[in-house]
Amino acid sequence: MPAKFKVEVLTPEGELFNDEVEMVSTRTEVGSIGIRAKHTPLLGMLTPTELRLYKSDSDVVRLAQGEGYVQVGPEGVLLLVEEAHAKDDLDVADLREKLKRAEDAIAEAEDGSEAEARARRDKRRWEAFLSVAGEGEGGGA
Amino acid sequence: MSQRDVQNRIGSVKNIQKITRAMEMVAAARLRRAEQRIESLRPYAGAIRRMTRQAAAAAGGEVGAQPILTEREEVKSAGIMLVTADRGLAGAFNSQILRAGIKAAVDHEREGHKVVFFASGRRGVSSLTFRDREAQGTYTGFTDRPAYANAREIAEDLMTAYIDGDVDKVEIFYNGYISPLSQVVRGETLLPLQQATLLEGTEDDKDGSPEEEPESGHHALVEYEPDPAEILQRLVPDYVEISIYRALLESTASEHGARMTAMRNASENAGEVIEDLTLEMNRARQAEITQEIMEVVAGAESLV
Repeated sequence: MPAKFKVEVLTPEGELFNDEVEMVSTRTEVGSIGIRAKHTPLLGMLTPTELRLYKSDSDVVRLAQGEGYVQVGPEGVLLLVEEAHAKDDLDVADLREKLKRAEDAIAEAEDGSEAEARARRDKRRWEAFLSVAGEGEGGGA
Repeated sequence: MSQRDVQNRIGSVKNIQKITRAMEMVAAARLRRAEQRIESLRPYAGAIRRMTRQAAAAAGGEVGAQPILTEREEVKSAGIMLVTADRGLAGAFNSQILRAGIKAAVDHEREGHKVVFFASGRRGVSSLTFRDREAQGTYTGFTDRPAYANAREIAEDLMTAYIDGDVDKVEIFYNGYISPLSQVVRGETLLPLQQATLLEGTEDDKDGSPEEEPESGHHALVEYEPDPAEILQRLVPDYVEISIYRALLESTASEHGARMTAMRNASENAGEVIEDLTLEMNRARQAEITQEIMEVVAGAESLV
């Protein structure tokens, strides 16, 4: 059995997960990443995707993860995320609505403005959440 | 007033008292929850702060140039963000924020700055409209229980306005939470963000896990994805989001505290009114009895 290590998922609204796992699977700005015990120390910037916490091969906690950070240290892994939701808590209709608003905002915003950059971030997040909810059009995560 | 009238009034005041008592209890329960949410934010804010210090150390001790850190030499237009509640019946809670915000606006206008309002809470939005000061950004429907996503939306609007040059400064006004009985109006400069506030330690640091003091030299071995300077580009705006989120949470706790106090006073006043009315009713009843006795005696006398 693979070695386990401590993982903590913190959001501004409180702690979401604090347990031992065999592997963490997520995505940073650089690309997908899997973390097992004794991973090198790391500080990474998380992008929206499905966060998977493998307590064992069959017991996997899946969360829709927003923007955040991951810190790997000798004691374990700390995931700071702005928002994280269980798949069942996602409201597909609401996400579709938000995605549409982000797309409209991109069309409206001036090229190269901060307003545009922000709308693109929103779009990426809602697409990723929709894909976690099983409603995405292939892309996103 | 006849006995019946007084009785009716006592009945209606008693009903009012029941309602204000119930509202007081609801506010007390929500206040406890709001306090817990302020507590829940601490570990996250502390961890973000430690991470910023680690990334800044790795990037060479500096946070680096970022648009929201850059102070503008000339302020042409100022943004004012008012944090109010969706509902009233909380004493001076909403009006004191408006008063502080309008006063700041008048000061800016005297110096020739244009003022752009942003407001959260229906009370603030409608009062601004009433005073002919339309808010550019309005955020309502969540003041009972603000989520981080609400704070992010507000923060992004404000930062976008700042970076794209619509405003050259942003101030925020909210009810700071001190205790259930005392709230105080706080006015703070939100943007430009001060570099000092990023790297200074605050109360948030003490409740972090003991492991990290990143200055211990091992960070040379830490991998960064992407490089520290880029991570800082996103960590810094997080401070604005966290500041706003904290302001929203404190405002919510203050709102429930203020409503609790207002409703307790209302219940006490209702009690006094009931006492007065009861006295009045007894007097009216006694007057009626006396009247009847007089009539009986007068009747008996006429028979003798």
